[in-house]
Amino acid sequence: MSNRALTLMMGFVAVLILAVGGVFVVILATGGSGDDDGGGSDRPSEGSTPGKSSSSGGICNGDKLITFGSDPASVLDPIQVRDEGTSEYVVEIFGGLVTLDLDLKVVPDIAKEWKVSDGGKTYTFKLRDDVVFHNSNRRVTANDFKYSIERAADPANGSPTVTLYLSNIVGIKERFSNKATDVSGINVIDETTLEIRVNQPSEYFLAELTYPVAFVVDKDQVQKNPRNWTQKPNGTGPFRLVEFTPAERIRLARNDRYHLGAAKVSEVVFELGGGSILTRYENNELHIGGVPGIELEAVKGGNSPLSKEYRPQPRMSVSYLAFNVRKPPFDDLKVRQAMAMSVDKERINQVLFFDSQRVADGILPPDMPGYTESVSAYAFNPDKAKQTLGESKYAGKMPRIVLTYAGQGGDAPDVLTAITAGWKEILGLDVELQASEYSAFLRELRRGTFQMFSAGWAADYPDPEDFIDKLFHSESVQNEQGYSNPEVDKILLQARSESNQQKRFALYAQAEQMILDDAAVIPDFWPVEHLLVKPCVKNWPSVSMNVPRYRYIEIAATEN
Amino acid sequence: MGPGLFGYAVRRLLWAVPVLFAISVIVFWILRLAPGDPVDTILGRHYDEERAAVLRNKYGYDEPIYVQYVKYMRNLFQGDLGVSTRHQDFTVSEVIWPKIKVSTQLGAMALFITFALGIPVGVYAALARGTFLDPLTISFWLALDAVPVFVAIPILQYFFAVKLGWIRLGWEGVWSPNIIMPVLLMSLPGVAGVARFMRASVVSVMHEDYVRTARAKGLKERTVVVTHITRNALLPMITVIGLSLPGITAGALFTEQYFGIPGIARESLAAVTAPDYDVILALVLFGSTLFVLANVLIDISYAIIDPRVRVGMRRG
Repeated sequence: MSNRALTLMMGFVAVLILAVGGVFVVILATGGSGDDDGGGSDRPSEGSTPGKSSSSGGICNGDKLITFGSDPASVLDPIQVRDEGTSEYVVEIFGGLVTLDLDLKVVPDIAKEWKVSDGGKTYTFKLRDDVVFHNSNRRVTANDFKYSIERAADPANGSPTVTLYLSNIVGIKERFSNKATDVSGINVIDETTLEIRVNQPSEYFLAELTYPVAFVVDKDQVQKNPRNWTQKPNGTGPFRLVEFTPAERIRLARNDRYHLGAAKVSEVVFELGGGSILTRYENNELHIGGVPGIELEAVKGGNSPLSKEYRPQPRMSVSYLAFNVRKPPFDDLKVRQAMAMSVDKERINQVLFFDSQRVADGILPPDMPGYTESVSAYAFNPDKAKQTLGESKYAGKMPRIVLTYAGQGGDAPDVLTAITAGWKEILGLDVELQASEYSAFLRELRRGTFQMFSAGWAADYPDPEDFIDKLFHSESVQNEQGYSNPEVDKILLQARSESNQQKRFALYAQAEQMILDDAAVIPDFWPVEHLLVKPCVKNWPSVSMNVPRYRYIEIAATEN
Repeated sequence: MGPGLFGYAVRRLLWAVPVLFAISVIVFWILRLAPGDPVDTILGRHYDEERAAVLRNKYGYDEPIYVQYVKYMRNLFQGDLGVSTRHQDFTVSEVIWPKIKVSTQLGAMALFITFALGIPVGVYAALARGTFLDPLTISFWLALDAVPVFVAIPILQYFFAVKLGWIRLGWEGVWSPNIIMPVLLMSLPGVAGVARFMRASVVSVMHEDYVRTARAKGLKERTVVVTHITRNALLPMITVIGLSLPGITAGALFTEQYFGIPGIARESLAAVTAPDYDVILALVLFGSTLFVLANVLIDISYAIIDPRVRVGMRRG
């Protein structure tokens, strides 16, 4: 359709809508008073009259950051948090002994220093004496930490993460299985000294303490209001929660007394409505916008004004295709190798993602401490792939192959369609794609039902152990591909207790290379989030995990 | 309302009870028999049997289904709809009522506009029968119906918000100007259907004897159209209006998604994908109750408007 015709048509529709809209406004003005449910006085967006200029206008005048977020998947209780979307809020509201800085290094939060003794089995934390809870003037003491961690381990509270991250603390497992009434490994020496004993000396124990499940909560508040306290939680983080309306918004206000330096913006508003984030960003309703996949080319293109505001945000995660090595034909290494060698990731990235993803040449993402370029996955090599498949014991009598992914039906993700098309073209393999509803997918994944599946893994804490050991140790619950290599297990075991960081990383690199050589999985991409940031937002931190970051941001009206 | 009518109404309402009971049993069982439960999603890839057992115990999913059902029904009769597994600090009522309210308010406005436009358009088209104005009018509204909302919305949003800067797209409450576009998008596509129905209805009464009699008596054309034609043509319209009423609480998924409206359609999708058992159940029961009630109301209103229905009813 020509532009002219389109304009005419849009104009026509516009006139019509306006006419009806006019009638409607009259109806609204006469009929609608009384109920004021959605439109309280406390709106984050003052002046609902939209600016008609196309400059960033009003949004850059205030000092409130308006961004988008997802509806929390659990309550805003540190011990219930289990997903990245929810932890984004929780790390801003609460705090723990230690935290991660923007370089993902473990740094002091409420603990100002600590020493490790007893061959790495005892941690003694010295707490700051100037940390107070948001809504009360009560100081945080060692007792609060003891209470908080014991609360996390109480099976009645059903924390989904406590034994995952804190099981190294002496007594956590016993408390969680109700064999003890307290956590014996936590001792309050005095108000500002806390001692934690661990079962095994571990290099990543401190990193585990940065996870929300180890955060401190206000005992008085929790006990007074066990069910609803999370609606106005009394934390110690850089922001306090002032509003949470499910499906609408979360508003965090600056904690002026924050002990590591108060935030520069007065408020951070997360719009939870989803919808047309990009259009709303363009309409100056949001400081931070997201770019849906299909708009990438348009946004990144040189002549789009948005291209200057585009910020790719690498995430510390990996997406991969996994073979169930217990099921034919994937019990044969040759089949796995052949399939790994016939995935043209570069071309898929070019065609489907406009070169905006990072092609994964290994399992550990580049943002991960201990990442090394020397590790590499099988390169795209169609000839070698064909040859390797020919050497397989399944050559010529290939069983049916089904690749399962978590999805809601409809068309399969383009990436998977492209990859299976490649296998067909290069190897002549017919790989069927099968969608499975998410919770059923998870259940069957655990049972090892799938022959082959598409999955992803995001870092819980920045340590290679979280990827290499969790996903590939033969006894790990997350090793759904059933991969088992005694050599790899041996190296992983060694790494768990190696105290020299460089040696430990080298061990993980060695294990990672062996896993890739065994073609246990085909890592395809290290995902990137596509963001837009208004020019007036200064110091937007680029960080690949959910760490407290909003306190660094500043809004400064620019000349633009 | 005569005694016969009253008894009829009571009987119809009593029938709603076993229907709703059956629905609750079926939905309760289907949810729990589906592979994968909320604990699977809560623990995700970090699942282990020990934590799963602790969580299933916490939510009561480890009991036999009929025990869970009895407990659920017992709480339901005490007005307790259960706990949302996503927002454990809110009761199910606290989760769904605000959303039902938002969707109902927008739905009511949309429904009003749909009928306020559809009925006159239908009457006009019927009176214009035989001229080109009839198909033109109907086609115009059909064209609006034919554009899928997920195509129309992004274009209109971009045009009115980004290009013209007239509107904001975020959710700022029911009584903010931001809802004009979503409400129009919810109402205008429905106009064609109402208009066509009304047109057919008008055409069928247009040549009735009483219309001819009215004209013969020398009544003004206006009176004939309004009192004799439109009023009688509206009778079958009651079913349409009545059956649309429960629909206004259902929300509109695309519109809610694109405009960030915290309505019931978005909530339902979130609850089903979670899965959030108690929220899903509450939504289904709420919807079924409304549907059953609407049907009863339609039957009753028929009886009031058309005495012939009432007579038949007394006999049966």
